[in-house]
Amino acid sequence: MTLAAALRDRDVAQLPSRRDEDWRWTDLRALIRELPAPSPAAAAPAQAGPFGALGDAEILVVNGRVIGDESLLRLAPGHTRTVRLRFVSATAGTAHGASLSISLGAGARLTLLESYEGLAAGYLADANLAITLAEDAVLERIILAQDDEDAVSVSTATVDLAPRARLAQTTLTTGAKRQRLETRVTHPGHDAAVRMDGAYRVRGRGHADLTSAVNHAGTDGTTEQLIKGVVDDQARAVFQGRITVSPGADRTDARMGHHALVLSDRAEVDAKPELLIFADDVACAHGNTVGALDEDALFYARQRGMPEDVARAMLTEAFIGEVIDRIEHEAVRERLRSWAQDGRIA
Amino acid sequence: MPAVKQTVEHVEALERYQHGFITSIDQEFAPKGLSADIVRFISAKKEEPEWMLAWRLEAYERWLAMEEPDWAKVTFPRIDYQDSYYYAAPKTKEGPKSLDEVDPELLATYAKLGIPLREQEVLAGVQGAPRYAVDAVFDSVSVVTTFKKELAEVGVIFCSFSEAVREHPELVKKYLGSVVPASDNYFACLNSAVFSDGSFVYVPPGVRCPMELSTYFRINAAESGQFERTLIIADKGAYVSYLEGCTAPMRDENQLHAAVVELVALEDAEIKYSTVQNWYPGDPETGKGGIYNFVTKRADCRGDRSKVAWTQVETGSAITWKYPSCVLRGNDSVGEFYSIAITNGRQQADTGTKMIHLGEGTRSRIISKGISAGRSSNTYRGLVSAHPKAKGARNFTQCDSLLIGKESAAHTVPYIEARNGQSVFEHEATTTRLSDDQLFYVMQRGLSQEEAVQLLVNGFVKDVLQTLPMEFAVEAQKLVAISLEGSVG
Repeated sequence: MTLAAALRDRDVAQLPSRRDEDWRWTDLRALIRELPAPSPAAAAPAQAGPFGALGDAEILVVNGRVIGDESLLRLAPGHTRTVRLRFVSATAGTAHGASLSISLGAGARLTLLESYEGLAAGYLADANLAITLAEDAVLERIILAQDDEDAVSVSTATVDLAPRARLAQTTLTTGAKRQRLETRVTHPGHDAAVRMDGAYRVRGRGHADLTSAVNHAGTDGTTEQLIKGVVDDQARAVFQGRITVSPGADRTDARMGHHALVLSDRAEVDAKPELLIFADDVACAHGNTVGALDEDALFYARQRGMPEDVARAMLTEAFIGEVIDRIEHEAVRERLRSWAQDGRIA
Repeated sequence: MPAVKQTVEHVEALERYQHGFITSIDQEFAPKGLSADIVRFISAKKEEPEWMLAWRLEAYERWLAMEEPDWAKVTFPRIDYQDSYYYAAPKTKEGPKSLDEVDPELLATYAKLGIPLREQEVLAGVQGAPRYAVDAVFDSVSVVTTFKKELAEVGVIFCSFSEAVREHPELVKKYLGSVVPASDNYFACLNSAVFSDGSFVYVPPGVRCPMELSTYFRINAAESGQFERTLIIADKGAYVSYLEGCTAPMRDENQLHAAVVELVALEDAEIKYSTVQNWYPGDPETGKGGIYNFVTKRADCRGDRSKVAWTQVETGSAITWKYPSCVLRGNDSVGEFYSIAITNGRQQADTGTKMIHLGEGTRSRIISKGISAGRSSNTYRGLVSAHPKAKGARNFTQCDSLLIGKESAAHTVPYIEARNGQSVFEHEATTTRLSDDQLFYVMQRGLSQEEAVQLLVNGFVKDVLQTLPMEFAVEAQKLVAISLEGSVG
């Protein structure tokens, strides 16, 4: 049951619904009664994406069609590159999907600046990425989702790591009518490392779903995950994180944290941080907190002469900022700094 | 590491199941299998009024239309519901009036299990020792209930469920199925159709029940299931502490235990419900036999400021599948869940709780310690949810898991649903270690690591033991010690 299969076969019955355990909070079946018409081909947008001119190259995927040199996403051993990968939805009320594969040879380093840009209203978009990393390869993947508020958007990435490879991922999203950003990692252990962070700022009637699954198959692997988010108005955020430690994957160190601020009485946060452990010599932990802004911190700030709205904005920014601080690419980190304030890029 | 070694020994000791004997006693059975006629047979045996039979039959009809759920992390061969006896009772002379008329074989069984059925035996103990009343359920019937007279003097009703249906139909009608509706889930529905005995407790307004109440469940008959039903009502301002224990003989076939427990707490009332579950877990090597413990337990904190605390120490059963829950309906009501679940051999446990916050200012606390040894699997599954109206709701959840053995498995599957901006939910889960954050916090204040660990361990033990009546605390303390010793290493 996937959106990709539903689009391929033009069959709404294949849409995931709340009856699928992994989609219990992001029901597409109940939302989509009829699949929209397929999206037409569209020209590349004139304006630059949210990452501007950062990096060495740009690949555009407009309405599901690749414009540009896809081979830039296949790095030969030892090569280093920074690529902007822009998924653009340019036609209102239509549906499209795209599948790309990314591969890094041994010791290659890729900084992937991935953006989801909604330039029209109410589209239905699906993206699938199959990513493989050879030994010692490093992928820093920074995802910025700026979908339209009436859009339905799903992005699914599967990442296959070799020993000693490293994945560092940061996802930032402001949601959509229904949006899911999912990453599934096959983790071989053997000093491979995963950092999988994310942040959401959802308002209005928005919906953002960050789902991840990391399967530790070998010994000595690490995974760390920090997800933070703010929901306001009638928005809904979903976090589902699953860490599986397979039999024999000893000395796995996995940590997961999800922390959410709920700023309105009609907003909702649903979380399911899961640990499935089949090996005994492991250190695994997860923490999950959901609550309002700390009244004591607010009081402290106001006591020092800060107006309440300024204090609230500052505390919220600091809360989200922790995720942005962990981005390794300096220029990207600085560019995304303003996102922590209001979910926009200055 | 000696601590770990000791823990392993403790857990291995649990393998030697000491309650696995069979009592040979004349029993009468309902015909094998399940049908509307069997439901009528059980109802007739219990001399139930027409309304009770109608309720059972309706549940049976609904059950036929339901499908067995499969979402838990447990695997077992398909249950043949027609291959079991739904009613088994020791043959007795016409209604024994006193203990002297009860079959001596039965009395010997309870003596062997260490359950005091003679009031004077309890009284003859150390002066000032706490007393507790017992309802002894043997297969499908209640054998005896002690201290009924003394309890009646303060207005507390404590009797078998069958007796309650006959003697207090107005209370049973009012509350039965009001917390766990007949069609709530597959196993609760089955129970509603064929339930045999269980306990009924009513504590009138403002009364603090003068002693601990307890029920001891014993499955003895082969190829039978036990389907007891327990209903406890604490009226306004009342307090009651209730405990249950359970054992079964060692047999090669699996036996089903599908109970339903309903608790109702009205304004300012408090109920403590403690379980030490020690059903036969099956053969540790082959996994043969053992009890399937598929139980629905739920409390309704109906009144403002009411409180329910569940404590469970789960060591037995081939499969445990249960989630003692609290529906926090009254404003400022409180729900607590303390659990120690130990699995060994080839046992499987999928257990946890649900805290449903509906009222303003409701609070809940979940402490779960799971230990998984041998080739067993131990899952914590829990739900914490806050309704939009549950402003100021608070939850704290801590789940710690300890694994012993390469082939054991421990899972944590919490669900958190926050639907308003004025609630605070905190959840923390660790596997194999004490929380680094807590250690750091205490050590920051000048304590050595060892002292810090000790402090945290003591604090934790206190929390759980405070919720357990003294009679069970000793047994539970051993189990708590096991779970904590390992988690420090």
